[in-house]
Amino acid sequence: MDRATRNRGWERNERRPRVFQFSESNPLSPYLFLIPHAALFLLFTVYPIGFGVYVSLHRWDVLASTQPFVGLEFYRRLLDPNTVQFQFFWKTLLNTLLFVAVSVPLLVGGALSLALLVNRPISGRGFFRAVFFAPNIFAVSVVGLVWRWVLDNQAGLVNIVLDEYLGVRPINFITEQPWAWLSIILATLWWTVGFNMVIYLAALQGIPKTYYEAAELDGASTWAKFSHITWPLLSPTTVFVVITTVIASFQLFGQSLIITGGGPSRSTQSVIMYITEEGFSNFQFSSAAAMAMVLGLIMMLFTVVQFRALARDIGMGAKGDAR
Amino acid sequence: MKRRRAASQVVRFAGLAILAAAFLAPLYWMISTSIKPESDTVVMPPQWIPTRPTLENYIEVLNSPDASILRWTFNSLFTSFAYTFFYLLLSIFTAYPLARLRFRGRDAWFWFLLSSMMIPGIMFLIPHYMMMMQFNWIDTYHALIWPGISGVFGTFMLRQFFLTIPHELEDAARIDGASRLGIIRHVILPLSVPAIVTLGVFSFMGSWNNYVWPLFVVHGDMLTLPVGVTQFSSRYITEYGKLMAGTAVASLPVLVVFVFAQRYFVEGLTLTGLKE
Repeated sequence: MDRATRNRGWERNERRPRVFQFSESNPLSPYLFLIPHAALFLLFTVYPIGFGVYVSLHRWDVLASTQPFVGLEFYRRLLDPNTVQFQFFWKTLLNTLLFVAVSVPLLVGGALSLALLVNRPISGRGFFRAVFFAPNIFAVSVVGLVWRWVLDNQAGLVNIVLDEYLGVRPINFITEQPWAWLSIILATLWWTVGFNMVIYLAALQGIPKTYYEAAELDGASTWAKFSHITWPLLSPTTVFVVITTVIASFQLFGQSLIITGGGPSRSTQSVIMYITEEGFSNFQFSSAAAMAMVLGLIMMLFTVVQFRALARDIGMGAKGDAR
Repeated sequence: MKRRRAASQVVRFAGLAILAAAFLAPLYWMISTSIKPESDTVVMPPQWIPTRPTLENYIEVLNSPDASILRWTFNSLFTSFAYTFFYLLLSIFTAYPLARLRFRGRDAWFWFLLSSMMIPGIMFLIPHYMMMMQFNWIDTYHALIWPGISGVFGTFMLRQFFLTIPHELEDAARIDGASRLGIIRHVILPLSVPAIVTLGVFSFMGSWNNYVWPLFVVHGDMLTLPVGVTQFSSRYITEYGKLMAGTAVASLPVLVVFVFAQRYFVEGLTLTGLKE
């Protein structure tokens, strides 16, 4: 090896001890790369799961010096109709499921519609895409505060418009059902539909134009082209979008907390809000940990079931993909 | 035929324009409320354009004794930059061997990491919080930066990207005597700039907009901006001018990032391999 080569930047670590050398000949070098992340992964991902299970099996009192083992006591409470935990956990879980059931079709269907609208050439297309995506960048607190103001019972923009221009009496969007749910769903739709739209857009651009040209030669209508070409070829994307949206909707928290405060009478309180209340307001860490475990398992189950149900529809689309 | 197409263009454009107006209305109302004197925020008929525009809401909010907006902004910026820096570093160093090197246990480790993406975030909340108490990290930057650092989305995304880089380039550098680090620095990184920038933008936004975690692990002066702004909403509960001024301040930095990085957002979502 001549001197010129040796002076290159990447040659510098040649003199270090061999074990720590990231070189071709060092069989340990792949592991050296992995160690920093592996250490943090064990500490902040693997260990907390085990620790969470441990906490849920003990009575963790902040003030007490010992944490007695109580077995499945906190899980049993979730199955005993006489406990507060049973009542609120399942009630708030049902609230959350209601939100998932209503918001997911809107967030998927709305995103696909928007994507179809801005996919074909039209003037201002880039601007429209940016506008529909933009709300995604805001923190949930910003979204919540803005919508609480826009939907304010008396002075909100929507009520002003309804009253002033349409003669409709003000609606208690924030404090009455079903308006409270409508408010949360509207804010969520505004906030996140653009993300799904962009994913659909990327997928639409991946469909070869020749398919449509061939269909046009056969005299296919717009609807026929959509139902026979676009929709089937989008199904892998739809699987992805539906699953990620369901997971995100299950995590409903900030919108309820900020827009309605979980009210009226806990009807828009989400299950994650209740878990944080049990943990951080009631200081029942063990009980909250047990609920988090149950909720986490339910969410994982949902994901697996959806993946199977939706993946059945994909057919060759996914299998034909080499990646 | 041609006329029909032109007509449908016009209809589509009109529909898009109405939708875009609906999307922008809440933001417009936020800005317009924030520059109105309090007495003008709830008048009938509504003031679409503020008649007496003023910056007094912004001045009051920035000087508020119990709402340290500037400190919260610093906290958010500092934690988001620190988190993004370490997250990118870890993702690059983990993705590289998983994509390019052959060694025992590689696939097993990759699948082990990948399977952790299945675990819902809620399962970490309580244990992470209790760990922070044990580490004495409540109300510190450590609590804001470290617990989320081992997430594997970045590793997964960069691995997929590194796989697409031709092996010939790496072989050429190796023949020239490059070490592994040299290959990463002079071959892999320059070719991965779009993917790394995308991941950087995503992790920055993720950290900046994080809400649940900072809400519970930090308080007072240690709050991040998105949480802080809701804390002070309880103070200005009926003063919407000031509340919207605070909200506008809280969304400004991320809006700036968006305007500069907008191109990467769309490209980035395509890059993550979600498109098939």
